Amino acid sequence: MRILAETGLVNYVPIAIALSMAVAFAIVNIGGSALLGPRREGDIKGDTYESGMSAIGTARKRFNVRFFVVAMTFLLFDVEVIFLYPWAVAYAQLEPQSPMSGLFLARILFFIGTSVAAYVYAWRKGVFRWD
Amino acid sequence: MIPHAIAMLPSTAMLPSTAMLPSPAMLASTASLGPKFALIVPEIVVFAGAVVCAVMGLSQSRSTRAGVPWMAVATLVGTFVVMLKVWTPEAAAAAELPMPLLGKYVIALLCVVGVGHVLASAGSVDRAIERQVASGTGAFDPVRVISGEFHAFLLFSLCGAMLLCHATDLVWLFLAFELCSLPTYVLVAIGRGADRSMEAAIKYFFLGAMSTATMLFGFALLYGATGTLELSAMREAFQMQAQVGGIGTVAIMGMLFTVIGICFKLAAVPMHFYAPDVYEGASNPVAAFISFVPKVQGFVTLVLLLGTVGWDASGNAAIPQVVAAVLWMVALLTMTLGNIGALLQRSAKRMLAYSSIANSGYMLTGILAGPAIGVDATLLYLLTYGVANLATFGSLAAIERNGHEVDSLDDLAGLRVRAPMVATALAIGALSLTGIPPLVGFWGKLDLFMASAESGQRALLVAMALNSGIAAFYYLRLVAGPFVAEPTPRTQGVAPVQSLWPRVSALVFAMGCIVLPFAANQLKQESAAAAMNGPAAPPAVRTAEK
Repeated sequence: MRILAETGLVNYVPIAIALSMAVAFAIVNIGGSALLGPRREGDIKGDTYESGMSAIGTARKRFNVRFFVVAMTFLLFDVEVIFLYPWAVAYAQLEPQSPMSGLFLARILFFIGTSVAAYVYAWRKGVFRWD
Repeated sequence: MIPHAIAMLPSTAMLPSTAMLPSPAMLASTASLGPKFALIVPEIVVFAGAVVCAVMGLSQSRSTRAGVPWMAVATLVGTFVVMLKVWTPEAAAAAELPMPLLGKYVIALLCVVGVGHVLASAGSVDRAIERQVASGTGAFDPVRVISGEFHAFLLFSLCGAMLLCHATDLVWLFLAFELCSLPTYVLVAIGRGADRSMEAAIKYFFLGAMSTATMLFGFALLYGATGTLELSAMREAFQMQAQVGGIGTVAIMGMLFTVIGICFKLAAVPMHFYAPDVYEGASNPVAAFISFVPKVQGFVTLVLLLGTVGWDASGNAAIPQVVAAVLWMVALLTMTLGNIGALLQRSAKRMLAYSSIANSGYMLTGILAGPAIGVDATLLYLLTYGVANLATFGSLAAIERNGHEVDSLDDLAGLRVRAPMVATALAIGALSLTGIPPLVGFWGKLDLFMASAESGQRALLVAMALNSGIAAFYYLRLVAGPFVAEPTPRTQGVAPVQSLWPRVSALVFAMGCIVLPFAANQLKQESAAAAMNGPAAPPAVRTAEK
């Protein structure tokens, strides 16, 4: 314990505890179901997903590149929304009508403006067209 | 601006009393960012212009699409004007930049040469599809049109290079560095629409990513060695280490990794292998662009970083011995291998690629000479190189053979008959790169020679003189081919491109090679002011003493 305290490693003890809990959780669950779980084989049991839609074809099918573009666009706007959260949290702390709050508002409006431009660009480029 | 808001959160989280929310006092501390933001108005203008270009390029109307290059030109002109208004010595001092007037010089340089690059590419982007639309044989297809993206990425890249000058910490430095790099990969890919340009772009991208990783690893080591990302604090840490018993091994390793990563952008040995292949695959205007802007990017980064290791305002170069030795080797090898490689080429573009490698070697000698002596010479050489390089590459962009880009040196034989103006611009550009007086290239080289002599780098001085001699051989092929050789059956198809503007760009910058020497003293003053560390004081004009 003294070595831990002297080297400052003591700060990492919570991380070590969390890590060991995660590992223990995984071991207990996998080990538990291996020991206690019933073993019955069958068509349904051997399916990729036991519930929901039945699987069609192979997993190595090619996807249309449009899915990729849409996923990328989604990611872009998704990340932009995440940026708004810290701004909103910080903005609430500012004094109303101070020059600082105006500056903060201007910054986020500029940021949103660029997002709108990106949206217009994607639209004009035909990213949202599906035929 | 947003990342700063985020960056505040963890710091407040560490204070036990304020829970997770930033206190008003914390927010007020961002007020110190005010002076910094006052200076980045030019970059905001470039950025906004780039966004407008991207959207304009997708317009249904042909005339709006044709306006995209002019929008880019207007943006750069506007940036130049805004920069002159915003970038006063007082404002720069308030922002506590490590080199207060560096940005002024670099932004002005990038705006002026950037306009030339935009014009050099006029008419070559989207040529096939716009011709189809004009003749009514094809419909406008937003997916195939790339003019908007081309100009937007060009402006984004310039914006990144400009932002580099504002860097006060490694994070800003890295982000600006990447903003400058990433668009160039795209430009290489889309500039030509051929498989070869895709191949070139892939090579450029992966090697670029590797070099960036190398540089970032260097940053990590520097952070580990000093415990700070701030350039000024890092400098203090280094000064303290130097007094106590020398800069640590980790820091020196970090500096070496960083320098090697930057060498990629300079196309300096040992990271130069990509240059000929990539330039050959890229279209001529894009090759002109990536032979200039990444060099500005690399040298600005190098100057800022070496400034933190121990250059001080009095001009004592105290870069660690090992780093200086490595830079010395890099400079020597770069200029020698670059020139020898250029001698062996049949392709004009590959030759100019090797020439750009060699020029990086020359410019590194200025960096080695130290801040008060050599950095201004390097900055001046960047300008003279940028102008002459654009005259040369721009001339190649202004002619075509049977509708395809001119590449081989054989295509240039007897160019005086087919395109006299372009031949003249090409010859002037090549002579300026050779360093023939009174062209501007001579003054740039003279300053580098003086700096090497003054700092006692005799071996480099001799190497540079020998290399300039070797370089004359191949540069003169760009003069002799057009003016002495007779036209051949092969050159029958060579003609100026349809658009007037690439020719204008090449000619204007060739004129620049002739006219700029008259302003040599002024340019030297500007570069000397830009090279100064610390708070802006009246520029100490070194040229006056000579």
